[in-house]
Amino acid sequence: MSDRGAGRRLLSSVFAALVAAACFTASAKAQTHVLIASGLGGEPRFSQRFRALGADLASALQRKYRIAAPNIAWFGEDSTFADSHYRGRSTRDALEKEIAAMRARAKAGEQIVVIFIGHGAGQEGESRVSLPGPDVTVGDVQRWMAGFTEQRVAVVNLTSGSGDFLPILATPGRVVITATKTAFERNESRFAEFFVKAYTADVADVDKDGRVSLLEAFRYAARETKRVYDDATKLQTEHAQLDDNGTRQNTAEPTGRDGQGLLARRFFFEAPGVPGASIAAGGDQGIAALYHERFALEGRVDSLRALKPKLTPAVYDAELEIVLVSLARKSREIRKAEGRP
Amino acid sequence: MRQSLCFPTVVLLVTGALLPSRLLSQQRQAIESFSEARIAIAMGKYAEATAYLERLPKTDSTWMDAQVELVRAFALISKYDDAERVARQAVAAPNGKEALTALGELMRTRGRLAAADSAFARAVAEHASDSLMASLNLALLAKARGDKAVAARGLDHFIDVYNSAAGSLTSREMMAVAIACRELGETNAELFKDALKAFDRAITLDPANIDARVALGELFLEKYNGAEAQRTLDEVLQINASHPGALVAAARRLVFDGQPGADSLLATALAVSPEFVPARLMMARGSMDLERYADAARDAERALKANPSDAGALATLAAARFVGGNERAYADARGRALALNAHDAGFFVTLAEAAGRVRRYAIAADFARQAIAADSANWKAHSVLGMNLLRLGKIADGRQSLEIAFKGDPFDVWVKNTLDLLDTFKNYDESTSEHAVFMIEKQESALLTIYLKDLAEKAYAKFQQRYQYAAPPPVRIEVYRSHADFSVRTVGLSGLGALGVSFGTTLAFDSPAAKDAGPFNWASTVWHELAHTFTLGSTDHRIPRWLSEGLSVWEEHQARAGWGASVSPGFLEAYRAGKLVPISRMNDGFMRPTYPEQIGYSYYQGSLVCDLIVKDWGEKAITGLLAEYRAGRTTDEAFQKVTGMDMKAFDRRFDAYMKERFGPVLEALALPGPEYPAGMGAAQFLARADSFPASYRAQVMAATPLVRARMHDEAVRVLERAHALFPAFGGDDSPASNLAVLYRAKGDTAKEIAMLKVLTLSDESNYAANMHLASLLIVRGDTAGALEASERALFINPFAPELHVVLARLYEARGDQAMRVREREALVALDPVDKSEALYELAVAYRAAGDLVKAKRAVLRALEDAPNFERAQDLLLAIVDGRKP
Repeated sequence: MSDRGAGRRLLSSVFAALVAAACFTASAKAQTHVLIASGLGGEPRFSQRFRALGADLASALQRKYRIAAPNIAWFGEDSTFADSHYRGRSTRDALEKEIAAMRARAKAGEQIVVIFIGHGAGQEGESRVSLPGPDVTVGDVQRWMAGFTEQRVAVVNLTSGSGDFLPILATPGRVVITATKTAFERNESRFAEFFVKAYTADVADVDKDGRVSLLEAFRYAARETKRVYDDATKLQTEHAQLDDNGTRQNTAEPTGRDGQGLLARRFFFEAPGVPGASIAAGGDQGIAALYHERFALEGRVDSLRALKPKLTPAVYDAELEIVLVSLARKSREIRKAEGRP
Repeated sequence: MRQSLCFPTVVLLVTGALLPSRLLSQQRQAIESFSEARIAIAMGKYAEATAYLERLPKTDSTWMDAQVELVRAFALISKYDDAERVARQAVAAPNGKEALTALGELMRTRGRLAAADSAFARAVAEHASDSLMASLNLALLAKARGDKAVAARGLDHFIDVYNSAAGSLTSREMMAVAIACRELGETNAELFKDALKAFDRAITLDPANIDARVALGELFLEKYNGAEAQRTLDEVLQINASHPGALVAAARRLVFDGQPGADSLLATALAVSPEFVPARLMMARGSMDLERYADAARDAERALKANPSDAGALATLAAARFVGGNERAYADARGRALALNAHDAGFFVTLAEAAGRVRRYAIAADFARQAIAADSANWKAHSVLGMNLLRLGKIADGRQSLEIAFKGDPFDVWVKNTLDLLDTFKNYDESTSEHAVFMIEKQESALLTIYLKDLAEKAYAKFQQRYQYAAPPPVRIEVYRSHADFSVRTVGLSGLGALGVSFGTTLAFDSPAAKDAGPFNWASTVWHELAHTFTLGSTDHRIPRWLSEGLSVWEEHQARAGWGASVSPGFLEAYRAGKLVPISRMNDGFMRPTYPEQIGYSYYQGSLVCDLIVKDWGEKAITGLLAEYRAGRTTDEAFQKVTGMDMKAFDRRFDAYMKERFGPVLEALALPGPEYPAGMGAAQFLARADSFPASYRAQVMAATPLVRARMHDEAVRVLERAHALFPAFGGDDSPASNLAVLYRAKGDTAKEIAMLKVLTLSDESNYAANMHLASLLIVRGDTAGALEASERALFINPFAPELHVVLARLYEARGDQAMRVREREALVALDPVDKSEALYELAVAYRAAGDLVKAKRAVLRALEDAPNFERAQDLLLAIVDGRKP
């Protein structure tokens, strides 16, 4: 994993941008705006953990994912904290003001990501996140998000008992992630730490495109959470879910292949909307052509995978080999043209 | 909610306010009336009550009732001659019809069934006041001789009786209704509920009706409700702690719930009533469990002396003779039993259960089939057949039998649990190797089969060669991720303490993921259970339990250093205290442990017996013994023939062997060292340890105070002395484990490694020690040592990805491509988040091992999910372009 660098990340992001292009019109300068709200701990160990998760995530977003510092707003339990992204106490008013600010500065096609860390409470419409002062309810979040009509939106509620956020917030074109399946899963949640780890450590990029999508982060965190409980031979008391098509179906194990997870699979913290192969190729038309050919081959892999259930294993493998060999040769050509090993 | 009356209330209700308090007092009081005598019998004051009743003059208005009570009281305490004398006098007296039922019951108890039948018939014909109970007894006698139609007619009548006259029935009549419903419940399970209701009503009508209370407790037990049975029987025993029936039922309840104490209850029952048949039969069954078949037969014969017609006693005698290998005596008992009732399914069920308990499952199934042939409505027979078929690996047939059993008896918790478990079998994968079939839960089958197939085949080859016996393939190996499921598979209930079981060619064991009992060595467990397959099979399942267990542990020791139970201070202290059972009674150590650790010690002790046999008589003596068992010899006969010693002599030889083998350690443990007054400081502990350097206790006593006082050098000194005195001990809190910690703190890695090796070679389940040892050895460049430690760790927890990565790299470093592939396959089988990476590494390993077909397949799978995975792309091109690694 350690050999993945920024240069490759730029190249890989091209593909994702092209795939996403069918859904979103993007500009070359599109931004991601992130609000992180870590809530009340209740006990020192929780306060410390929530603070650490917020700090780690905010730091990684700038350092690894190149989100501009002004676009990262982290609010927490304390009034002050020595961190350049820290904006003060995570009161409902403070968060609401920041949302308003995000709405004011976010352009069409840009990304809005709201992340809650901490304890949750309440059920259904009364579901809320425990914050200093009045809690933020799912209704508040629903209202806040309604204002982002031209942006890509993700709400990630990593609090315990957060499950009832999903059915209320889920809508086509919005990624909603909760750490639990229902409001009744109120025990201490482990999902948050693995979700943050997906972005802070090189552990979750399973498709090897050099980036971590929300789907990859979700799947990594869900798997590792399960492992914690399995290893301890305990009943799992939290079951994370993801919805990005508004159906609220298959939220526990979205694959991103069809139906649930398709949008999350293409949702990266990196700025979206890199416009095309010519930019990826730095203006070199020859290399741009190679990229176009590679994108076509990648499309063939996707098409073939979609056909897999209808093909015999032998036919599928033979076809897959042909396409993957071609793709591998094309990648090599690109690397050679770009002077990379 | 059922009602529950405590006895003081009962007594008040029955007799008025003054008498009971007098009778209940601690001081012995003279009985002054029939009512008091009746209460006294109910309370177990048999001697006082019978003495009073015997003295009652014929002119007393209660005389006849008193005689009936007297007959039943004498019968209850095995004074059958007295009972008969009284009964016959009463029957001959005016209004003697009132004693006919009691006489009939006594005749039945003494096995004189024709006389019993005649007495009951007379009671009915002469309209005795208890003719309803006589009618019931006639029906029960008809049932006992196999006359089902007559029995059914007679029992059915009680439904009409209840429906037409429930309000006017006496307590005993209501009890008769209850018993009839219980009997009818065998073909209509709903009637068990009516039986329960009627028993309750009988008790309400006469709270002193102890017989009804005992019968109710037995009904609960029969319907698998241990908790209610216990409550009911506890109530009875609070009233009458000497009621033989209640005592035996309570003993059965303890066995049912897997609790100790049944023996003492049986002893009490027999002290009160020495010829009480149910107690004798339970004793006999206990002896059979201990494989003491002669003792079992003796008890059954004694029961038959009291009642030569008792079907249960005849079946028990036949069972003892059969499993004891005495075919002629078995045939005789069988003939006697079937002469009484040619269609006695219960006889065959008893045989089937006895055979099953001594691990002869195929024979058990055959007997169960005979039971079904005798009476297809015997649900117990279907259940026993189903359970044994499952043990034989015949899952579909077993399930079919259990379905029939459950339909007939929906209360059978074992059957229900097992059927529920069978429903989950769809969640398991089945795979095969040359000699075995594996059933493993889907989520871990890919991983476990990698190791299990290899392990099972190695074990099969080793045992086939050792025992000159080929277990009929396939050996069925079931792996349960849930310990509760394993427990149900084994005994039908949850809560079993074991980790694995062998039914012969069907094994079941806990998956390493089932950690209810903490970490354990799953590989040595498999090895242990597979050894049973061969020791059971090669003896036609006649090997005694203790020797089969001993051999299995011995086989663990032979297989790998560190596997199997090992010596501990506790074991040797038990030996010194005379708490190990002699070899001649070793089954007691497994079946009737007298202290919590005894079963564990018995496993190790059994392995020491095998060590001794091999040492003194060679390994062939083991197979020689097994051949003797196969030929039907008893343990006495087999040992005499193979070792030339009788068991008493062998006991002495084993004692000498213990002293030979553990002499110095025993001496070190025996040395008591000094006294340790309260409030001593570390320096004083140290002084005592230094003064008694040969005392193990003096050294270990000093270690903790010294560590607490941060006198680490001194702590090391005493622990090194303790370790030198008992170098083989490496369990929890051993000198070696404490030394490892202290050496680590001192930075003495060489010595730490030495102690970790002691720990890992004496505790097969110490995962942390193995992992730590491997990491230290890797740093030192000891690849072989690191591999050994890592492989040991794998046999404790195969689910840790980091362990497989370490193993893969170690094998790669050693150039062992096949094992590297194994580990890379394991990593893929763990279904990691980053599966493409795992598949890529597997492809690299395949390629290094020269398997380009699999390498290409694996890299294609890696690229399928991550098409732009550059290293995988390069590998794919290298493979298709034919470049060398």
